[in-house]
Amino acid sequence: MRKIVETVSLSTILAFAMMSNAHAYIDPGSGSVLTTAIIGFFAAIAYTFRKYFYKLKNLITGRSTSGKRR
Amino acid sequence: MKNTVALTTSHAASIIADEGSFRDRNNRVYRSDTRVLRGVSSEALRNWQDISQETFFRDLVAAGKVVVTDDVSSSVDAEHATLRTWEGVLAHQLIPFISYPYEWSFGMLKDAALLHLDIIEEAISNGWILKDCSAYNVQWANCKPIFIDIPSFERYAEGDPWRGYRQFCMMFLYPLMLKAYKGIDFGLLLRSNLEGIDPVFAAKLLGGPTRLRKGVFSHVHLHAKMQERAAKRELAEARRLTESAKGELSKSFRARHSLAMVLGTIQGLRRTVEKMRSPDEQTTWGNYDTDHSYSDASLEAKKRFVVKHASAAQREMVWDIGCNTGTFSRLCEPYAENVISIDGDAKSIDRLYHHERAREKSKLLPLIVNLSNVSPNQGWRGAERKALEKRGRPQLVLCLALIHHMVIAANIPMDEFVSWLHELGGDLIIEFVSATDDMSRMLLRNRVDQYQNYTVERFEELVAQKFTIVDSEELKGGHRKIYFLRHR
Repeated sequence: MRKIVETVSLSTILAFAMMSNAHAYIDPGSGSVLTTAIIGFFAAIAYTFRKYFYKLKNLITGRSTSGKRR
Repeated sequence: MKNTVALTTSHAASIIADEGSFRDRNNRVYRSDTRVLRGVSSEALRNWQDISQETFFRDLVAAGKVVVTDDVSSSVDAEHATLRTWEGVLAHQLIPFISYPYEWSFGMLKDAALLHLDIIEEAISNGWILKDCSAYNVQWANCKPIFIDIPSFERYAEGDPWRGYRQFCMMFLYPLMLKAYKGIDFGLLLRSNLEGIDPVFAAKLLGGPTRLRKGVFSHVHLHAKMQERAAKRELAEARRLTESAKGELSKSFRARHSLAMVLGTIQGLRRTVEKMRSPDEQTTWGNYDTDHSYSDASLEAKKRFVVKHASAAQREMVWDIGCNTGTFSRLCEPYAENVISIDGDAKSIDRLYHHERAREKSKLLPLIVNLSNVSPNQGWRGAERKALEKRGRPQLVLCLALIHHMVIAANIPMDEFVSWLHELGGDLIIEFVSATDDMSRMLLRNRVDQYQNYTVERFEELVAQKFTIVDSEELKGGHRKIYFLRHR
């Protein structure tokens, strides 16, 4: 019985030790690249829409398109 | 602002490596009292040679947005053994006083964030980008933010993501959101987390209805979710790999980021940051300069005393500790190259910053520092970010209507406080606020009175041990007394 308890305790300790060991290798930045891809996808649509909207607006109003738009 | 950096090749021995500059292996900053040099690798030197020819970069420098830098590789003294191990050496315009984001007000961090976005947008449109986005890469000159990390500029290849995004969120966006959306001052969080606020932690702080505020769902909650998902995946992979060294690593996530994606994200962030307002801005802004307990006559007498002794010499640096609205900092301005205006109240400092930013060539640098717990030495080996007192030595210190807060409210013994003032190394203009003054009585109202030693006689006895009392004058009908003390 004592042996079983010892084995179980040891495995638990080892499992936790391995877990914290594994945690230390996680790169928190890898989720950020995925986030920039998702946010960037929608931002690109908005950016392109704004770009053409202002081009069209400037064409109608006769203004130069060289001005910076944000 | 000077357009070239003065460089002398003397004082070789006094050049030391900056203990906070070690993360980018392509360069290192070296400092002496009079100049800032940067040793750069061949790659960083090539980048510098290329970018210094770019019109957009020259325009940023001319506008005071990027630090003035010269290539001084050919004139570096042979005695600079360490510097000669680098391929090249750059000299930077000297920043009067180094400050850290945890000492900045909301308006300061916001302007620093907008400066970063400005620079990245200009750079990316010209085939360059900033490889990181650390708030520590911004410093202040004439109350304007200035970008100081030249080797951060690198060539941008279309298709690459903006790698500084995560750092921008952690060091700028989340702290600003905390103040703008929740009214939480970010200083203490940034002081204990030098890398900024992690997305998962930010998501916990910005939950509930705040999710609906501009940018919170995408930049905070989506970001935190993605980070947690990636962490789970990598944790499973790490468990698999610990069995042997022959496991195959999964490839890192790659997605082509078009220029429109990167520029769209940056412009979106700009709109989010520009719209953020501090909740403090909506209160008591009309009462500027009236936040004191003086009659007009007493205030004029105090101002005259300060000007009389501040104007006696032209000084390199003056510190106004407990500056409140900065009235007395501005009085010292004509007689000092730089005035560091320090107060523990974030609202006062933000108000002062907005006031000074609107003035042309203000010499003030407003900073939020709790004077009973000033910014410590911290970071790697306790040396990466320096304590307030290690970053400059004032020739004159203004300590007006502060001592009662230190001795009564913060319970700092008066002899300790006087010793600390002496260690700052400068002459001192100090106002003693007696226990009979209304403001002291307010502080004493709910306390056990253990301040029998807090008397003008004991104060004079203590300061006389370390300073020479040159001049003094009673104020507010004798309840206060102002002194000019010469350091010795």
